[in-house]
Amino acid sequence: MGKAFDLMLIIEFIPTLIQYLGITLQILAASIILGLVLGIAAAIPRLYKIPILNQLVILYVSFIRGTPILIQLFLVFYGLPAILLLLFSIDITRMEAIYFVIITYAISNGAGFSEIFRAAIRAVDYGQTEAAFSVGMTSRQNFFRIVLPQAVRIAFPNMANSVIGSLKDTSLAFTIGVMDMMGRGDTLIAATAHALEVYLSLSIIYYIIVVMFEKIFSKLEKYFNRYQKADVTAVA
Amino acid sequence: MIYLQGIKKSFNQLPVLKGINLKIEKGEVVTILGPSGSGKTTLLRCLNFLEKPNAGIVQIGNIIVDSEKATKKEMLAIRKQSAMVFQHYNLFAHKTVVENVMEGLIVAKKVKKKDARHQSERVLEKVGLSDKLHHYPSQLSGGQQQRVGIARALALNPEVILFDEPTSALDPELVGDVLSVIKSIAQEGITMVVVTHEMSFAREVSNRVLFMDEGVIVEEGTPLEIFHAAKEERTRRFLQRISGESFFTPLKEQVN
Ligand SMILES: Nc1ncnc2c1ncn2[C@@H]1O[C@H](COP(=O)(O)OP(=O)(O)OP(=O)(O)O)[C@@H](O)[C@H]1O
Ligand SMILES: [Mg+2]
Repeated sequence: MGKAFDLMLIIEFIPTLIQYLGITLQILAASIILGLVLGIAAAIPRLYKIPILNQLVILYVSFIRGTPILIQLFLVFYGLPAILLLLFSIDITRMEAIYFVIITYAISNGAGFSEIFRAAIRAVDYGQTEAAFSVGMTSRQNFFRIVLPQAVRIAFPNMANSVIGSLKDTSLAFTIGVMDMMGRGDTLIAATAHALEVYLSLSIIYYIIVVMFEKIFSKLEKYFNRYQKADVTAVA
Repeated sequence: MIYLQGIKKSFNQLPVLKGINLKIEKGEVVTILGPSGSGKTTLLRCLNFLEKPNAGIVQIGNIIVDSEKATKKEMLAIRKQSAMVFQHYNLFAHKTVVENVMEGLIVAKKVKKKDARHQSERVLEKVGLSDKLHHYPSQLSGGQQQRVGIARALALNPEVILFDEPTSALDPELVGDVLSVIKSIAQEGITMVVVTHEMSFAREVSNRVLFMDEGVIVEEGTPLEIFHAAKEERTRRFLQRISGESFFTPLKEQVN
């Protein structure tokens, strides 16, 4: 066990740890952006019921949902170099650990996002698509001008939850040696033996960041919902 | 001018339209009557290829499409000849009133945004919504929403406007407003095909009434001919039933 509990250390550790917030946010941003691309790509076979691809996406989503993210991280960390070496003779064993983290979280986010997108696009009233056709719009124009903007609104709350979940999940990156806030915390514990104080500092930082994200998301959500029924009094 | 020849449509082997032939002259107002399930909506939707007929030829203005071989491009071309007013309005929920009307002008007709706005505002004035330009559909009554729907169709200045029971989703006290808007545009000489259960509207406004049953046009004629001297037994029975019910319909609509 560690040394005697010291309340002041919690405050003292925060500046050291917060220097590594950038890494955490980088992992988050990169995995969200790649996850969005993957999510859109995976939603298309589901929406258009493209044979084979559709089944593959279903399998992909259910596998990601059914396995812990930590195991997915190890699978990518140990599995990806092995596969690339075997199939393409590409050696990525020297690639920095952070890239494995980004890839894992992108794959994981992609699965979640694809389901969110699919549900949101389905939820836009088909009558509006018919109206778009009736005024002479093409399928593409209808998708980008009528369906997508409304699907974004519908998807937004779920997306926001995913992003916050993902932010917290990045705390597992240190297990494969990434020096993010958790990783730095790990070395602090090794150096000072004040584990509880370090974890309390970390929880304060994560909590504040999450609350800030929630604030921003709820502002955005209000904006997206401006044309919804609840807003009648605000505009009238 | 609209010309239909041999239009057939089935849903899962069930024939809904059994070979419709029809000619509508420019400026005509045609109403379609008939019992529920007789294929009125389907016929209207075949006109703009929201349903693709299984067979038959559709001509609107100078665009002719053979539905068996219809390509996407042809379907788009024929859609641009018409506009539709829907039973449930189907307004674009994320766009304001004026944007709803502008959308087709900008995207399908490639009108400049500024011109589209001017045109849209003019049409909205015509339907009495000048004071609602920047409201969203969710902030309007059903009657107002339907007038936006009418403005959206009218702004495109199409060869023909198709109406599918434009007042049947409205509260009874709002029906009059919408009908009078439709009447006033009918008097401007715009070609219209109207599916309706409003007998008084059919009688007063249309040049020609079609009676449909079981996927065929059973009978057609002027309102006078159809309402007072129908030749077919089926037409007479339908009209009798409707006029018998009409006393109760407002009540029934409220229940629905
Ligand atoms: N998309 C569809 N899929 C399957 N069946 C359909 C579809 N659309 C219409 N039908 C069927 O086609 C028949 C004609 O329907 P349609 O909507 O054209 O009737 P209608 O004359 O407009 O009736 P109403 O007065 O009730 O609106 C009905 O039996 C209906 O169930
Ligand atoms: Mg109908």
